[in-house]
Amino acid sequence: MDRIVICRCEEVDLEEIEQTLINYQCSMREIKLRTRAGMGYCGGRTCRPALNAILEKVSGEKQPHQIPLKVQPPVRPVSLGRIGETNYE
Amino acid sequence: MTNKNHAEVAIIGGGIVGCAIAYYVAKAGIDCMLIEKGDLASGTSSRCDGNITIVDKDPGFDSLMSLASQELTAELEKDLYLPFEYRTQGSILVCDNDAEMEVANEWVNIQNQAGLKFKLLDHSDIRQESPYFADDIPGGLECETDSLINPYLFCYSLIDRAKEYGLKLHTRAEVKQVSKKEEFLIETTNGSFTAKKVVNAAGVWAPFIGKMLDIEIPIKPRKGHIMVGGRQKPIIMRNVMEFGYLMNKFQRERIADPETLKHGVALVLEPTESQNFLIGSSRQFVGFDARVDFNVVQTMARRALRFFPKLDDFNIIRTYTGFRPWTEDHLPIISAVEEVPGFYIAAGHEGDGISLATITGKLIEEMISGKETTISIEPLRYDRFKRKVVHM
Repeated sequence: MDRIVICRCEEVDLEEIEQTLINYQCSMREIKLRTRAGMGYCGGRTCRPALNAILEKVSGEKQPHQIPLKVQPPVRPVSLGRIGETNYE
Repeated sequence: MTNKNHAEVAIIGGGIVGCAIAYYVAKAGIDCMLIEKGDLASGTSSRCDGNITIVDKDPGFDSLMSLASQELTAELEKDLYLPFEYRTQGSILVCDNDAEMEVANEWVNIQNQAGLKFKLLDHSDIRQESPYFADDIPGGLECETDSLINPYLFCYSLIDRAKEYGLKLHTRAEVKQVSKKEEFLIETTNGSFTAKKVVNAAGVWAPFIGKMLDIEIPIKPRKGHIMVGGRQKPIIMRNVMEFGYLMNKFQRERIADPETLKHGVALVLEPTESQNFLIGSSRQFVGFDARVDFNVVQTMARRALRFFPKLDDFNIIRTYTGFRPWTEDHLPIISAVEEVPGFYIAAGHEGDGISLATITGKLIEEMISGKETTISIEPLRYDRFKRKVVHM
């Protein structure tokens, strides 16, 4: 099978994610930090469901102790100039 | 046969400090375990920047300790297998006005006299660092030996190697109780462990561990915000901070707007290996409230734009906060605790945890092994707070 890209922003493929999960038996947050999957421009909005599905598949069940992927502001990328604008309110 | 649930030394806390201690202790051939309540690097060490700097340290003990850490980190690059984005390009401080420039000149002289590689930069030097800088920046200074790492990858790399040296790792094991009879009993949410010696490397959470043994540890969480800018065009090759917040060290008044002073905002801009960039920084005492405060973020954005006005159309993709373990005299506690023999503290590094992690790990290993320490540990003693010999 051809290479399946999961995180388009950081160009991380399925094989790398599965291999990291097998090697380190870690949470999805740690997968994110180790591979950069979900850390790119879109903030994981595209690949987060896929990442969680891979975790479930590889670990065989929903991990009761799993540390879920959080969402950090801003919701969408916003320019530094816009953030710094006076009279924002 | 080695017992999985017992070790000579138990280290509590899997942040950068605990990981560095685990590495040096395991490498010395001592039977050890690391106990972490979440994942490795799941607290402050994944919510910070990655500077190993001298540029902002007081000449004397502070800068000496940072230099020792820089030298150890360079050695680690050879012994660790997993890459940790180590970059050695030095770092710079930029001045906002002529008053700062004058003090910066003094700063460079003092640091040079102490044998450190500092250099004053003028207006045109600054222009060469980045085309995005404002035209009215009078200058700044450079420290040649400063470097950058990726803190969480560094943690993974240290533990990866420490395990080869024999470290036993227990993650998702939150310490609920520590007691001492002949040896320490450490009860966690993921099993009970025994050890002859315990190192408290729990950072901002170190006081909670101390309390379990009736040891009061004067560390408070100081919140810092960071913005992450997306990959666009290269802005600068090395780390930039503003000189302004050092003005206080010279007992001179910093000139800045009220919001900047109120939120403890000072410019930090760090280019990362992923080609993103980090913008900091803020300093606030608000307990353990981790929410991103938009007023603070806005103040940081304005501060960044004062130095980099041409970044106004660069996109910010993420913001987050971390808690820096603050102590009264801005030095960490790296010390044995007389009241509880066998109990050590390695915490309270505030914003210098990344800079000082390796030297901290090395010092704790030397203390445990009864060796002579690489640098004096007198200013880092736990009992300095009780003896009121805190140097402010």
